[in-house]
Amino acid sequence: MSIALSIQSLVKRYGDFTAVDHLSLDVPEGEFFGFLGPNGAGKTTTINAIVGLVTFQEGNIRVCGHDVAADYRKARACIGLAPQEFNFDRYLTIREVLLYTAGYFGVPAKEAKSRADLMLRQFDLTSKRDVDYTKLSGGMKRRLSLARALVHQPRVLILDEPTAGVDVELRLELWDALSTLNREGLTIILTTHYLEEAQHLCKRIGIINHGRLVALDQTESMIAGRSQERILLEFEAPVQALPAGLEALGAAWDPTTRTVTFSEALASDLPRILGAFEGQGHRLTHVDVQRKTLQDVFLELTARRENP
Amino acid sequence: MNLIGFQTLVTREIKRTFKIINQVIWPPLISTLLYLFIFGFSLGRRIQDIDGVPYLEFLIPGLIVMSVVEASFSESSASLFQGRFTNSIQELLVAPLSYLEMVLGYVVGSILRGLIIGNLIMALGWLIVGVSPANWGLYLLFMVLISAFFSCMGLVMGLVAESWDQLSIPGTFVITPLVFLGGVFNSPRLLPENLQPFINANPLFYLIDGFRGSMLAEWKAPIMSELFFLVLLTTFGLILAMNLFRSGYKLRA
Repeated sequence: MSIALSIQSLVKRYGDFTAVDHLSLDVPEGEFFGFLGPNGAGKTTTINAIVGLVTFQEGNIRVCGHDVAADYRKARACIGLAPQEFNFDRYLTIREVLLYTAGYFGVPAKEAKSRADLMLRQFDLTSKRDVDYTKLSGGMKRRLSLARALVHQPRVLILDEPTAGVDVELRLELWDALSTLNREGLTIILTTHYLEEAQHLCKRIGIINHGRLVALDQTESMIAGRSQERILLEFEAPVQALPAGLEALGAAWDPTTRTVTFSEALASDLPRILGAFEGQGHRLTHVDVQRKTLQDVFLELTARRENP
Repeated sequence: MNLIGFQTLVTREIKRTFKIINQVIWPPLISTLLYLFIFGFSLGRRIQDIDGVPYLEFLIPGLIVMSVVEASFSESSASLFQGRFTNSIQELLVAPLSYLEMVLGYVVGSILRGLIIGNLIMALGWLIVGVSPANWGLYLLFMVLISAFFSCMGLVMGLVAESWDQLSIPGTFVITPLVFLGGVFNSPRLLPENLQPFINANPLFYLIDGFRGSMLAEWKAPIMSELFFLVLLTTFGLILAMNLFRSGYKLRA
């Protein structure tokens, strides 16, 4: 299978600060790849280096076999980008945004018109075709951003936080659209904060922290079986000792308080946990299940891989 | 060569011009009318011919250059700066356009705005004063090259500026003084003797003088050497703008 994106030993420095530190990565054609990492980890810098919005000091990047520096026009022609921040042209209407982008990519006018109209229909924007982008809701702007990235029929679609700030319904809609595009053969690379999103969409995940790739694996083997919740139990009286058999579940408690938390337990462990406490005569007053933030999972994953 | 991409950028620049028509097309026409009114009907009769050319005829080419310079400089500088300010420049930067195509896209867009405004003013002059270009070829060539040079300078400023306030600095402190002292309203040769070295160092003087020569048959100017100088300036401007785009100065982090 041919390689859609190949990054070799990429280094990007801003003065003394190294934003991306010898990052290497290959994404085969047709893959759905997720790029995860906390804020400031270097995700957007890496994306921008690929698309040509950022220069870099070392390494090289090839998109569909074209070097992004030496052969920048061929490389850019292969990429569709939906950036994190909206950057639409304020002098254009929605339909013109699509037409002009197609034009910049060399699509002839007639073809551009039919593609723009198709995109407007596909992303449910036809009724807004003649308004300024400032008149769109946040969700519509996200859809327009995706339509613009696709209007020149790229081979690689790059999405930087595509569902940041959109409601659940639209998120599901976008996921659906992206899955369909990927099934049709489009290579998709996305960055995200949401573990759930990566888990739902991506075949493979790379985790970046402090500019370095700290984990790279199939999504299933990286996340499957991991707890995504934190279970909090509150009892009538402080818990002095943890019942036997619960040590492996990431328990944390303080003998002076009445709460015990389990950070590595799955929901299916709950009956066993409750039974064990009941057996010791502890009376439960409150149960809370908190969704872990991606930050928590990053810390677990990165801690595991940085200090094996 | 991405010809379609280049044409799209030029179209976009023209679209921008017409979208802000009240800011960019009508003001130079109205000020030209006012200049002609003040100088033509109240002061003009008291002003002698300049080197054998009636004052109003002398004035028209200067007014055209003044507006063309302003139009092409502000078109490219404001368009590029606004693109940087709103990040919409990224739409171009991620597209398969060469740096030459990007620079020429902006420059040709500015030249078209310069041509529209310059020729509208020329038409006003023709209606009111009865002056039309003596040599259409040279007249258009001068206009295109003057536009191209100032549009390149506009691109440089559009990259250098960090705020709208800074963007206005060259217009106010450099271009306007050079234009006014370059012979729009009077012959700079009539200025005091000790100012003559400054006149000689003012590039606008040669551009206005040569352009006036292309419009008025009776105006004696070394047109060809002035045209050559303008070609050099324009080439320099293009190379400078191209190199800044290629290096990614203030465009790519």
